[in-house]
Amino acid sequence: MNKLFRSAVVASLAILGFGCSTSTEKKTASADAPAVTDFKGKTLTILCWEGYADPKFTKAFEEKHGCTVKGVYFGSSDELIAKLTAGGGEVYDIVTPSPDMAQALVEKDLVQPIDLTKITQYDSLAAKLRSMQDVVKDGKTYGVPFTWGPDYLVYNADVVKNPTSWSVLFDLKNKGKIALWDDISSLYLAGILLGYDKPDKSAIYNMTEEQLAAVKKKLMDLKPQIKKYWATAGELDNLMKNKEVVATIGWPLTPATLQKEGMNVKGMIPSEGATGWIDRLMITTKTANKDLAMAWIEYITQPANIAKVAEVTNYSVAHDGARAFLSPELQEITQMNNTAYYFEKLNFWQYVKNRKRYNEVWNEIKGGTQ
Amino acid sequence: MKLKPTFYFLFMPLALWMLVFLVLPYGQVFVQSFYTVDDFGTLQPAFSLDSYQRFFTKELYYKTLFKTFGLSLIVTAVALLLSVPLAYYIAFKATSNKTLLYTLIILPLWVSYIVRAYAWKTILGSAGILNSFLMYVGLINSPIEVLLYSDLSVVIGMVHIYTPFVLMPIYTAFEQIPVSLVEASKDLGASRLRTFLNIVLPLSLPGIIAGGTFAFVLSLGDFLAPILLGGSNTLFIATIFQNMFGTSNDKPLGSAIGIVLLVVVLVVLELSARGERKYSSLTSR
Repeated sequence: MNKLFRSAVVASLAILGFGCSTSTEKKTASADAPAVTDFKGKTLTILCWEGYADPKFTKAFEEKHGCTVKGVYFGSSDELIAKLTAGGGEVYDIVTPSPDMAQALVEKDLVQPIDLTKITQYDSLAAKLRSMQDVVKDGKTYGVPFTWGPDYLVYNADVVKNPTSWSVLFDLKNKGKIALWDDISSLYLAGILLGYDKPDKSAIYNMTEEQLAAVKKKLMDLKPQIKKYWATAGELDNLMKNKEVVATIGWPLTPATLQKEGMNVKGMIPSEGATGWIDRLMITTKTANKDLAMAWIEYITQPANIAKVAEVTNYSVAHDGARAFLSPELQEITQMNNTAYYFEKLNFWQYVKNRKRYNEVWNEIKGGTQ
Repeated sequence: MKLKPTFYFLFMPLALWMLVFLVLPYGQVFVQSFYTVDDFGTLQPAFSLDSYQRFFTKELYYKTLFKTFGLSLIVTAVALLLSVPLAYYIAFKATSNKTLLYTLIILPLWVSYIVRAYAWKTILGSAGILNSFLMYVGLINSPIEVLLYSDLSVVIGMVHIYTPFVLMPIYTAFEQIPVSLVEASKDLGASRLRTFLNIVLPLSLPGIIAGGTFAFVLSLGDFLAPILLGGSNTLFIATIFQNMFGTSNDKPLGSAIGIVLLVVVLVVLELSARGERKYSSLTSR
């Protein structure tokens, strides 16, 4: 009896929480839930990028369900794989991979299909992000869009005036003042500059040996211009602050941080285009808490909650409805006021099958050897 | 042989520590270096020499090892050139505040490596202390860009970080030289330089070898200085090693690099130990 009562309370809370959902169909979806909403004492473990399990939005969920949400952070896609495949991989319930790994997780059956009808907000998430096929297998979807962002041109607008093209990186005026991200994504950029993204956008993630050789030459040509290959956003902030670097490939986080410190640093998508990333919520195959994981996805995709994710991380989030909960400044920083433009322009990362070779080429470029 | 319980009590924790944190990991790295890896980065147990073959045939890997070797030698040489005169001064010339001077040299060791590397960023940067000063006094008109984010800054940083390690054994060696020998040499009419070259230097060789080995071996395996202070052309073997375990997810190749580096270091240590032994005793000469 007690249990039934509690379930009823949780169910009504849930319905209140989804205040905006009016269709009866959606109500039934959440009304079905009571049978499994007793999560008291359980722990939801999320394997994610830093910031994706912040108390600012996990707390309400914990209180609602009487459970604990634990975030385990990974610093690179490969660390994610290492953690997920190592013994004890069953401790994780949710993972948030970037698109350079998402497809691999699906192919390797490390994640399971998600019943999208149970995610009330799914149809309201950005169509562009939902349309990506890399997390779809046999007609089943394995990932729910969560956050996204561009890898675009970040520049010091006091020095570099109104850039329109990536060619500013090659401009001799900026010699020794250019930076690149120390990551194989630099190869994607070179691929775009060489036009390998046309007509097939995904070709830059699957370049041939000849194309990789041309990419290498392009990046070797750029080398005399380069001051530093940066590893973290914090390092890039410092490079730009100390005027060591005036233009780089980077994330909106950098202009946002530096503008707050009074610097005239801006970001833009050059005419050649730019790549972008999108992180998804996925449920691990081995999870023992599938229902709790579903409840988390249901919870975090609510506009009010996903807006808090944007607030904490400064990343763009997958639900346009989040705008209602974001200040104009934050909408600007996260590009939430201009999503259509970014969606059209960005070439979202895909799984690089030959990741090993890409990395080798990148190391050869860094080492300056053949 | 019957050992006392105290032996086990004292010895076992250390043995266990060595086993768990040294022997087993090295063993794992060794075994792993023969494994193969699929595109996904999953280890496939096998006995394959593929990783070693790649290391010795791809310029990227063996050339980087040579380059690292060269830069480590430079670091060692500079650290020795700085340490020998300094240790000599503290050991023989300084009279009243020996301890203070020695402490000043050791002091940087109390500061975290990373903090010191970042300090060099502040000093050497385009808008850093050194460039600002040189421009202020009018020696240069525009900042010297090569100071930071280049091989030069890596060498400067490493020399700074490893010099205390070099100085300590040299100083100890100088301290152990009986003053009577030096006095005898001078009494017999040898000049200062001759005394230094014929008496002091040979007797302190074990210390110099030990110190040089420290600097060399530590530089060989250093990956923080290249990452923090290095530029677009800086690539150390340890950076590749870290990369194999980090982004590339190619543990067999990473392990093979680790084993090659380990062998190189063991050879260096063995040569160094032989050198020390050769010059260590006063009577053997």
